[in-house]
Amino acid sequence: MLRLSTALLAATLFAAPAFAGERSAPTADCPQGVLTLSVLKPQNNPPTPVMISAWETANKCMKIELNEVPFGQLADKINVLAASGNPPDVVMYDGPNTQTYAAAGVLLPLDKYFPAGLKADMVQATLDEHTYEGKIYSPGTQQASLALFYNADMLAPLGITPPRELAKAWTWAEALDAMKKCQKGEGDNVTVWGLAPSRFGNATPGFVYRDLLFLRTFGDPKAAPDSSAYKTYWALSRDAKTAQGWINSPEAVEGAKFYSDLFNVHKVTPKAGIPNAFQDKKACFTIDVSYFVAGLANNDPGFKWGVTPLPYAKAPIVHTGSITLGVMAKGKNPDEAAKFVLDMSTGKIAEDYNRAARALPVMKSIAAKMTELQSYPLNIFLEEVQQWGHPRPPSPHFAQYDKIVTDALRDIAYGADPKTRLDSAARSLQPILAR
Amino acid sequence: MIAAKRRAILHWAAVTTFVGPFLLMLLMFQYVPVVRMVWDSLWDFALLNPDKRTFVGLGNYLDAFDDPDRRQAFAVTFGFAFGVVCLVIPISFFIAIYLNGRLPARAVVRTVVFLPVVTSSVVIATMWVFLLDPTNGLINGAIAMMGFKKLAFLTSKAQALPSIIGMMVWQQTGFATVLFLSGLQGIPRDLEDAARVDGCGWWQRLRHVVMPLLGRTTVFVVVIMTVFSLQAFAPALIMTGGGPEGTTDFIAFDIYQLAFALQQPGLASAISTLFMLVVMGVSLLQMRLMRSEWSY
Repeated sequence: MLRLSTALLAATLFAAPAFAGERSAPTADCPQGVLTLSVLKPQNNPPTPVMISAWETANKCMKIELNEVPFGQLADKINVLAASGNPPDVVMYDGPNTQTYAAAGVLLPLDKYFPAGLKADMVQATLDEHTYEGKIYSPGTQQASLALFYNADMLAPLGITPPRELAKAWTWAEALDAMKKCQKGEGDNVTVWGLAPSRFGNATPGFVYRDLLFLRTFGDPKAAPDSSAYKTYWALSRDAKTAQGWINSPEAVEGAKFYSDLFNVHKVTPKAGIPNAFQDKKACFTIDVSYFVAGLANNDPGFKWGVTPLPYAKAPIVHTGSITLGVMAKGKNPDEAAKFVLDMSTGKIAEDYNRAARALPVMKSIAAKMTELQSYPLNIFLEEVQQWGHPRPPSPHFAQYDKIVTDALRDIAYGADPKTRLDSAARSLQPILAR
Repeated sequence: MIAAKRRAILHWAAVTTFVGPFLLMLLMFQYVPVVRMVWDSLWDFALLNPDKRTFVGLGNYLDAFDDPDRRQAFAVTFGFAFGVVCLVIPISFFIAIYLNGRLPARAVVRTVVFLPVVTSSVVIATMWVFLLDPTNGLINGAIAMMGFKKLAFLTSKAQALPSIIGMMVWQQTGFATVLFLSGLQGIPRDLEDAARVDGCGWWQRLRHVVMPLLGRTTVFVVVIMTVFSLQAFAPALIMTGGGPEGTTDFIAFDIYQLAFALQQPGLASAISTLFMLVVMGVSLLQMRLMRSEWSY
């Protein structure tokens, strides 16, 4: 009954095509027939047609059938298909959800498919994020981190030169000072904002990937493990069972207050989204990922721009993680699906993709070959991942954590009392984490 | 005798042919899911792994009553419905009175008033996000031109719900107006003429003849507007995400978030069941309280 209703829901909500991998009749070249693997992925994301074509050329007896959905619908679609009897073979999903899907039995552990030395080749943050209860679920194709982009033409007349090395990174107080100086207009008549609004998520404030960092940077990973500074830095207990005291510690509240003040006291960033605010010269600074470099390089905004490491308060930190490929546990061709995932994430295909997209590779061996990553501005992102990078708090309940903390941060940006709102978020999270 | 039997068989064959498929669909897509929802409300499970479930009996219902966020969602939804109904009914009633008369530009006003009704809720919500933008929105532009301070609208705890009520009133007034207009056109002309002969003025005719005779229409409009308002989903999804601080967290949106984002379909089913019972109760109460004493 449940399977029937789930299948009906899947069919009616998403009108999904049949997903099961199918094998054609035998041919001379392929005595076992041509196997079609089904892959679910978000639009405008890898695996790209170039990657798939390269793989199909190398694997003559296998074809890929892509099913693409908008990124915003990806998690809902995976939720529904996971419970159906006909899931895709491979899914491209958001990396922080690894533990959620692993705990629910949605993803297949890939340990037996991993060649020797592959885990050691992965960036530590990705390895942490893609591991659950000692098993690895995805190698990871790319990494991402955030940095502060600036309009050099606007800053030059003010005599402001942002640093280019992590060792000289601005503190948030220094960055705020520069944003205030650069902003034009005040009150209802701001024409150039100090900091562009977030374009992540649904383009409102609060997105955990970007805005939880304002809290975590007020913590300290070197403090005693039972101290509130340590808890603030990790934002969730290491066993992922406690939010109380971790997301609403005194230091986290201090960070939330600073975050709130950007919108409500200093008013250097707007509460509502402004599409392309940075590119349209409506903001001096913006916080964005490494892909943004390629965007600006390919579509000249008409001004000189630069990148500086993400500012910090007490301890520097950036969130790592990106979309990644996994094998569906209920898929019908696990061996072939695992081969596809590993081929897309390692070796020449992954190297070519990372180079073309200017994305940060997960594999250290690929990063070493990409000389462009060693020079400005991409070196800032790579060094951030290697030196400051941590995943968003890993948990089998990350999706719920993400939703509740994002809502809390959005409310704080809109003017809610930081302590009251963080306490409320911790209270909502606790029963979910205990399940 | 045999002919009568054949007629009866043919009659039922026709009834089954015409009504059967629709009854079957109604059963499959309406009543079976309702039964399923009530059943699911007794279990704790996640959508990702629905086979792994624990029977919790009425635990989800107790959680729904205990949780301040759920109580807030109920309060917000009914406050929203109350605001919409209180504004839509008088506005649409007077527009209907206007459209029922022989006044200039009646056809244009009728089209303008009805246009939002045939526009998708998603399109309307998206359009109002731009209209209500605190920095560059058209409404704030007009407010600034008049020399007033711009308003935060959707990012303000105090202004978000009234803003969405305003949008909903704008959207639903046309539908309510058409219903009132049809009610007005059904009132026998003789009754108003008789009142006029007896010396009643415009207001007296409206108060003592038109309003009582529109009782049934008013009940219908109130119930329909209440149900429409209680079903509100798109404004929360597109305009506010339920914020700021839950002030626009409508029940339908809350249920969706609980089931899909928070992976608590059991709790979402319990709230859906409660909500269904409450909406049925409110509709019955409205129909009883506003029962018309007049007929024509």
